[in-house]
Amino acid sequence: MNTLIILVLLLLGAYFVAVLENWISKGRFQLGAPLFAAVAFLGRESFIPRKPDQLFYEVGPVLLLLSAILAAAVIPLTPDLIITDLATGALFINAALVYVLVALLMAGWGPDGAYSMIGGWRFLGQLIAYAMLIVMPITAVAMRAESLLTTQIVVSQAELWNIVYQPLGFVLFFIASMALAFLPPFDMMIAKGELAGGVESEYSGMRLAIFRLGRLVLIITLAAATVVFYLGGWQGLPGIGLPPWAWSAIKILLVTAAMLLIGRYIPRIREAHLLSWCWIFGIPLALLNIFIVGVLVLEFP
Amino acid sequence: MTAQAFFIGFFGLASVWFGIVVFRTYSMMRSAIALLFSQTALGAMFLSMQAEFLGVLQIMMMATEMSIMAIFMVMFMMDPGGLGEMDMTHQKRLSLIAGFVSFVAAVAVAVFVDWGPVATTFPDAAQQTVDLGLELLDRSMLIFETAGITILTAMIAATAVAIQPVKKGDDK
Repeated sequence: MNTLIILVLLLLGAYFVAVLENWISKGRFQLGAPLFAAVAFLGRESFIPRKPDQLFYEVGPVLLLLSAILAAAVIPLTPDLIITDLATGALFINAALVYVLVALLMAGWGPDGAYSMIGGWRFLGQLIAYAMLIVMPITAVAMRAESLLTTQIVVSQAELWNIVYQPLGFVLFFIASMALAFLPPFDMMIAKGELAGGVESEYSGMRLAIFRLGRLVLIITLAAATVVFYLGGWQGLPGIGLPPWAWSAIKILLVTAAMLLIGRYIPRIREAHLLSWCWIFGIPLALLNIFIVGVLVLEFP
Repeated sequence: MTAQAFFIGFFGLASVWFGIVVFRTYSMMRSAIALLFSQTALGAMFLSMQAEFLGVLQIMMMATEMSIMAIFMVMFMMDPGGLGEMDMTHQKRLSLIAGFVSFVAAVAVAVFVDWGPVATTFPDAAQQTVDLGLELLDRSMLIFETAGITILTAMIAATAVAIQPVKKGDDK
């Protein structure tokens, strides 16, 4: 039952992301637009490139959607509303999200098109930049909770949310998740103007719809992960009596909006520049964050 | 046959099959992805054996590693599209012999080692993670840290050796 509820919620979340993205990037607030776009995608002809690697070409978009959904499987929206509370939840999110990269590589390489292939390799370059900034802040979060259970991670923030306890980790994780979801300013792999859509360029119709849906689900999943790891999950602010699910929903939507909004005000960053920034500043900062959290955990338990 | 045995066998065969696929293609990209799925199947075997942490870790690490391996291969061969029709095998006779010998050795170890009585109870997944953490940072710390540093050194050395020296005034 939980599985079904979460799947429906993910779909709903993807719809909200689409509306928000449209609103923020184009300035048009249209509640019906994503639905019409989806129907239009399904009705359109699916072009197939001349010599694709059939397997990679077909698997790419589906794997993107699948890995986003798998990552969402260990994210608790309320104490009980979680698909599976794995004992390795915080690690499992990482494992599932790495397959976003595999999906994009396959989708980029599969169609046998120059633009999409460059897009795919760009994302791999971006992975080498952001991967450590996903793993290391999560490590610090798990250190405080002394558990990899995502529910336990939320409970550990009962007194103080992690965004206050380890703000450095939050900033790094937030940036890294934007890069992982290839949101602007890190969206060079699906660059419209320069690569004609990059990884997306050889996809059309149904397959493009799945790809886009996968990306929307990925964004909402990452926002939910940020909420679970740093914003106290389902726990509310004292004095405001809202049910846990409402808190989760509000926070996830706010984080999503923040992710989309911030991207609009920053010039696009090439993956090579991101790479050098992440390895020169990001990773040392992440290590510093682990150190600080370690000292805090040991000194003020 | 229990479901567990079935899944262990299934993923084991899948792992071997993808391992064979690695050498049946002429493209570095396909080869790398096949190797990735071979390792992922190995991770799934861990999962079927109730070793949750090891399984998830294997599945996570291999995806990153194989993809990075792919980009390194592509960079050094300058063949991003994989059109070079590159043969994935070399030193065939030596590799065949080495592969066969290690296979026999692995089977021999599996058959002849006295593994002791089969465990009927095992700790739950959360306890496994705790035990593994204590093991890694307690009794086996020296082994793992040494291995880690060695691998890191080897990686840095390999990259340093592979980079062409840039003459002064010649860069860009």
